Amino acid sequence: MQKDKFFRDIENVKHPNEELVKTHCSYCGMQCGMNLRVDKSTNKIIGVEPRYDWPVTLGKMCPKGVTAYQQTNHDDRILKPLIRDDASLKGTKEGFREASWDEAYDLIAKKFGELQENYGKDSLSVFSGVSMTNEKCYLTGKFARVALGTRYIDYNGRFCMSSAAGGFLRTFGVDRGSTLPWTDLHETDCLFIAGSNTAECHPTSMFRIWAVQERGGYLIIADPRETPIARRADVHLDLRPGTDLALANGILNLLIQNGYADESFVNQHTNGFEETKELVKDFTPEYTSMITGVAVEKIEKAAEIYGKAPNAIVMFARGIEQQQKGVDNVSAYTNMALVTGKIGRPKAGVATFTGQGNGQGGREHGQKSDLLPGYRKITNPEAVKAVSKVWGIEPEEMPKPGVSAYEMFELMDNKTIRGLYLLCSNPAVSAPNLNFVRGALKKLDFMVCGDFFLSESAEYADVILPSVSWSEDEGTVTNLEGRIIKINKAQEPIGESKPDWLMQVELAERLGKGKNFSHLKTAKDVADEFRLATKGGNADYYGATWDKIDEQDGVFWPCKDKDDKGTPHMFLDKKFYHPDGKAKICALPYRPPAEEPCEKYPLRLTTGRVVYHYLSGNQTRRIQFLNDMCPDPYVEVHPITAAKYDIKHDEFILLYTRRGKANYKVKITEAIREDTVFVPYHFGHDESINLLTIAALDPMSKMPEFKACAAQIDKLKSGSVL
Amino acid sequence: MTFSIVEPKDKDVQKRRKLYMELENCIGCRACLAACTQCGGHEERNRNYVYDVNPLVNRQTMPLMCLHCVDPACARSCPAQAIQIHESGAVLSAMVEKCIGCQNCTIACPYGIPKFDEEENLMYKCDLCIDRTKDDIPPMCASVCPSNTLQWLTEDEIADKKQATEVGNDKWVTSMPYLEGETHVTVNLPGVLQGTVKLF
Repeated sequence: MQKDKFFRDIENVKHPNEELVKTHCSYCGMQCGMNLRVDKSTNKIIGVEPRYDWPVTLGKMCPKGVTAYQQTNHDDRILKPLIRDDASLKGTKEGFREASWDEAYDLIAKKFGELQENYGKDSLSVFSGVSMTNEKCYLTGKFARVALGTRYIDYNGRFCMSSAAGGFLRTFGVDRGSTLPWTDLHETDCLFIAGSNTAECHPTSMFRIWAVQERGGYLIIADPRETPIARRADVHLDLRPGTDLALANGILNLLIQNGYADESFVNQHTNGFEETKELVKDFTPEYTSMITGVAVEKIEKAAEIYGKAPNAIVMFARGIEQQQKGVDNVSAYTNMALVTGKIGRPKAGVATFTGQGNGQGGREHGQKSDLLPGYRKITNPEAVKAVSKVWGIEPEEMPKPGVSAYEMFELMDNKTIRGLYLLCSNPAVSAPNLNFVRGALKKLDFMVCGDFFLSESAEYADVILPSVSWSEDEGTVTNLEGRIIKINKAQEPIGESKPDWLMQVELAERLGKGKNFSHLKTAKDVADEFRLATKGGNADYYGATWDKIDEQDGVFWPCKDKDDKGTPHMFLDKKFYHPDGKAKICALPYRPPAEEPCEKYPLRLTTGRVVYHYLSGNQTRRIQFLNDMCPDPYVEVHPITAAKYDIKHDEFILLYTRRGKANYKVKITEAIREDTVFVPYHFGHDESINLLTIAALDPMSKMPEFKACAAQIDKLKSGSVL
Repeated sequence: MTFSIVEPKDKDVQKRRKLYMELENCIGCRACLAACTQCGGHEERNRNYVYDVNPLVNRQTMPLMCLHCVDPACARSCPAQAIQIHESGAVLSAMVEKCIGCQNCTIACPYGIPKFDEEENLMYKCDLCIDRTKDDIPPMCASVCPSNTLQWLTEDEIADKKQATEVGNDKWVTSMPYLEGETHVTVNLPGVLQGTVKLF
């Protein structure tokens, strides 16, 4: 093979007695290609080498990617099952003792059995995540519905991608996060990026993004902060947090008024244009400016550039999606592409920056409370029939839809849900309104947590099951392009850790469901059953075999059969997935954030990430290089605001909302709006900004409004921590 | 514009690629620092720097790497002749058996590049990942740099970069004459977009 040919025999790249295992990063949706260095004598991962021949990222990695390998053999790894007998210690790290797998499984089977006997099948719940392979995500859904027989399963994508999913489903009838491959990005003429701190959250997109400007193209950024990408934008739309819908409507209005609508495209391939045109008429530049706080000239310039661009891509991320109108924001920004016809061809389209490594694949295959594999509704009898057959159950045994992630905590609080199996997630840091969520976790009668580090959420568990890191198992992941890729195993699991799918098979056997699970002996077995379970769905993976993924550098879904090479570009035939083949242009009235600033809480609080940490920080806070770079949270404050509060750089202040409070060190910067403060959310215990955030949920996606709530600062008398 | 997959282009030293820095691209992620620790022979210590240019004002950052001077002050100032220059022009880290830990090099370097190991009493600095670059594999920092601030380019590609941002008003602010002396690394100081002709 041409690829990697030079790579294999260069001394100091290929060291003696080492093997290079090609794989992808453990963290975000970019899924950068990397080679893990494995010492052949010890079978231990000892380092990383760039994977220059991976077409999406060409060997590039962010600091998280470079140091990702340090998780695998980290001293903090959990090596054996842990049991805590004293429930009064919940919420602390104390009281755990090592146990055998048999003892742990027996205890879980006994407790789960008792709870279901006393309180019904639905007294148990599964809370999962999407930083794991499709195979694991798939089996987790099956485990909840077949082995536990509960309706209550949901996952952390509700705090991440569910608004993008809801918006795309409504607009296109299908939810593939990007309508085009990332290798198109640098060739477009205009990037309109809203609510994405791309340079910190998806850094390896940046070389393509800068290249657009280098070619003479334009970069438009909508963000309350002057992030590293906004700093170099041609237009920075510095809007108030939570006002995206007004901005999108305002720009759409200008596009229509100034003649940039593609009438033939609109007539042939969309519905809803006239209604939307009427609605956005009210969003004059002046009215839009009044709501968003963005200068009229900037709004006009952005609309003109996007309208004129021969090709343009609209992109967005959690900034617009983590709002109680996140779904509307997604549809509203997507309207821009539909009205101007800049979609359904190379170099033009719409994309969301998927947050978690498998945020795309993990939301498609049955971890969501209302979905079955292949992105099919659990309320659709045909889908239930098809999946039941694969699972070996009767259709009537299929549980009904459950509730969303945050709503599950409400059911724990009122004791509807009494048992929890948590895996691949750390909601004690990442959920909103944490005082409530942590209280709900404490109320559980019995909680099991699968993780490879003792997370803040694991501190609430009765039993901890040691899972493997991403590098000790194999399977597929669907990256932010919708490209299915292969994660390869680089070393054997350390200690007694096991992959989550194997735990689920073994637990299912204890729960008397061996006939539905025992045939799954390897990750490949799970993969084959999983592909079959998706057959016929919108997200059809049936033709995406591991061999094809290897041969083609990934396979874009849908991929229906052996001869199907997959679908890098969506909608090239201008056929959308609604029954009439048309996309929906949505008329979306503006509504403000759930909590607007007031006299008592005059500031707007928004949250986000830093480049050195991933999500709840359970992994990255343990990596020395990353932790050295960003060991503590902080609050970004504009100097004019700081002067009003008489606070200085590096001084500790009290930040509080109606829901909670925390102390943060002040970071003065002009790169934020005067009316807004920002805190990164990667930190646990008393440092979690989610103690303050609001659980106002989007009515469709059930996404909490992490990105906007009302807050206040108090200067501390001593200037020190309370 | 296309991005080519990195492959060694030529064994000929004269045609070998060089490190090129586009400071305006830097996003401050410090992947270059993390990657530096991963090169064999670097003993997991990074040898480069990234600075916040104006931290209370904006998010501008810039990397500071060894520029591999043609007539390096570090080597000239070394009383033990511990700092060797590779045939490719890379200024190597001090030879362990010769370095006397005087730190003259750090003081002499116009950019303060050489670092000092207090425990070992030894200087260490960027060697341009010589075991890679001698075979035209990019150094670790440029291999991983997600923003293309650090690139590994042929002389022709560097000339194209210069051409693309030439504005005819002496504002192509590359290495010379703004730096202390001639270097093997080409630096484009902030302002890369100033000469770009917009598409529309």
